[in-house]
Amino acid sequence: MATYTLHLAHLYGDLLNTYGDVGNILALQYYAKKMDTELTVDVISMEESFNPDDFDIAFFGGGQDYEQMIVSRDIPNKKNGIEQFISENKPMLAICGGYQLLGHYYIGADGEKIPGIGVLDHYTLSQNNNRFIGNITIKNEDTGETYHGFENHNGRTFLGTDEKALGTVISGHGNNGDDHTEGAIYKEVFCSYFHGPILTRNGELAKRMLLKALKNKYPDADLTKQTNLQIQPTF
Amino acid sequence: MSLRSSVATAAGKSSYWFLHTFLHGGSSLPGKITTAIDPQILKAFGQKYDVVIITGTNGKTLTTALSVRVLQQKYDYVLTNPTGSNMEQGIVTTFITAHKSKNGKTLAILEVDEANIVKVTEYIKPIAFIFTNLFRDQMDRYGEIYTTYDKILAGVKKAPNATIIANGDAQIFNSIDLPNPMIFFGFDHTENKDIKAPANTDGVLCPKCNHILHFGFLTYGNLGSYFCPHCGFKRPELTYKVTNLTQLTPTSSNFEIDHHQYEIQIGGLYNIYNALAAYALGRFLGVEPEQIKTAFASDKKVFGRQEMINVDGKEVTLILVKNPVGLNQVIDMILSDQQPFSFVALLNANYADGIDTSWIWDGNFEKLQQHDIPQFMTGGERYKDITFRLKVAGVADPIIEPDLTKVAEKIKALPTKKVYVLATYTAVLQLRKQLAEQGYIKEGMDA
Repeated sequence: MATYTLHLAHLYGDLLNTYGDVGNILALQYYAKKMDTELTVDVISMEESFNPDDFDIAFFGGGQDYEQMIVSRDIPNKKNGIEQFISENKPMLAICGGYQLLGHYYIGADGEKIPGIGVLDHYTLSQNNNRFIGNITIKNEDTGETYHGFENHNGRTFLGTDEKALGTVISGHGNNGDDHTEGAIYKEVFCSYFHGPILTRNGELAKRMLLKALKNKYPDADLTKQTNLQIQPTF
Repeated sequence: MSLRSSVATAAGKSSYWFLHTFLHGGSSLPGKITTAIDPQILKAFGQKYDVVIITGTNGKTLTTALSVRVLQQKYDYVLTNPTGSNMEQGIVTTFITAHKSKNGKTLAILEVDEANIVKVTEYIKPIAFIFTNLFRDQMDRYGEIYTTYDKILAGVKKAPNATIIANGDAQIFNSIDLPNPMIFFGFDHTENKDIKAPANTDGVLCPKCNHILHFGFLTYGNLGSYFCPHCGFKRPELTYKVTNLTQLTPTSSNFEIDHHQYEIQIGGLYNIYNALAAYALGRFLGVEPEQIKTAFASDKKVFGRQEMINVDGKEVTLILVKNPVGLNQVIDMILSDQQPFSFVALLNANYADGIDTSWIWDGNFEKLQQHDIPQFMTGGERYKDITFRLKVAGVADPIIEPDLTKVAEKIKALPTKKVYVLATYTAVLQLRKQLAEQGYIKEGMDA
């Protein structure tokens, strides 16, 4: 039996699941185990309420245009819960469609403007008949860590003033192909266009999220062993 | 045929002869030459053939091969295209290199790439389409399933009289009302309950009201007897059904269609769908159930994607994997093996493999823990990705061999007689090349 338990909310996991993003949850479970922690998962989907008090960590993945549009109609019902979750500094990973829906709006496949929930300050435009597809490498400016991933997106996202980039683009396109940023960090929310998936290729980020969730839930615990966990390169 | 078409055909034929004789290959260039001389060449062919078009993500090749065998029970000659030649130019080549028919129209059963259907139906009005399934597949190349279906429908729109023979267990083929006559095939082999698909399944929204579909049962992926508890949308009436699964092993499948007993010499539930599709086409064109039995029983060579190779006494089964739904079906199939076996996974990320390897995370490698597998091995250019995938799935200590030229040697040293090798497209080619050079197989694969 693990000493610690963490409960993860997989937002719309039955609809936004297209690009192998479930690997992020598998990676979190893998590293959690090494940190003497059991990570349990619940999918929170359409017409279900999201109670932030029930969860310690959250994952919001990407999907196909059609499913993402359906999710955009349901997610306003979960806005308050998500807002509270973020304000309590609980870690969340949002990839691709999930990233876009946390912002103000994105432009759908038919050119229509689809509102997000605006809990983060970015917005997303589209490109005409083009996608950013390929391997990508970025560097996180705070930690100096290098992250590897695969991007495949039509959206061009522009960050708000209180968001930091997840990293600076070394090779690839990033958020919009112009400003050399990739992804976003706001409080303990990590956003990215990375598939690969991001946490299977970049275990440091998985460790960072898990440590934060453990510190939130077990403020008095001695997490030295967890903090000292060495992440072996996987890419 | 017009003079221009005749000249174009002759030019294409001679280039095919040249390529075939001197360069041992060439399936799209003759088509290119012919089309350059006469852009409407397919129209001329269309007047001489009754054409059936087979399309979908998985199972095109085997469904086509089985359909040809089934229809050969009734027709002396059936034209078809070789594996991989399923784009416009390859199809033109298929026609120009065909035998001349003596009297009346000849039947042509063609596997056509989803996006190339419209280029064919622009000129040829087929008598029938077969839709096998649509799954997420190498998303860096093909895009999303709804986009792919739109491409298919663009082709169907130009042939509104063609009968569509579709997989009724796939809700996407029932999502848009079409003017074409529709016939559905599917599974009806077990009792109906009320279940939802596992969370990591794509295509589970009701196309009429956007609520999440429920299922009486699922066969694999999102295939099954779906229904929408919210608006009543449900699986259409099936004309041809699998009514019983009698015995499934990794190398053979025994099952009933419409209560007739059949056997095919290949494992995997997905291959029963391919047989069912071929049965449906056969019945539609007047082949009797008994004749179909004969067609299914003849010749193993048709099952090309899964190959048994003897390597110094090791029974190596080499299986091509390219997308998560196919991969999960292969894992289910090999887990039905009662003998001990070693498991080898080879991952490349060249264009033909799909340059995005994320899809391996949608593969249910965790299931391999159900079997006591004595040794795992990983390899290929992306050995790091596949090794970590297996580690996360609970595999403690795989042999890691990045260099595919050394994989054959390593296979010989594995602790079991049976070895399953799952590999992406270019990894299959590279491994086969090694095995051919070492004399374990005779010829290369048609690419």
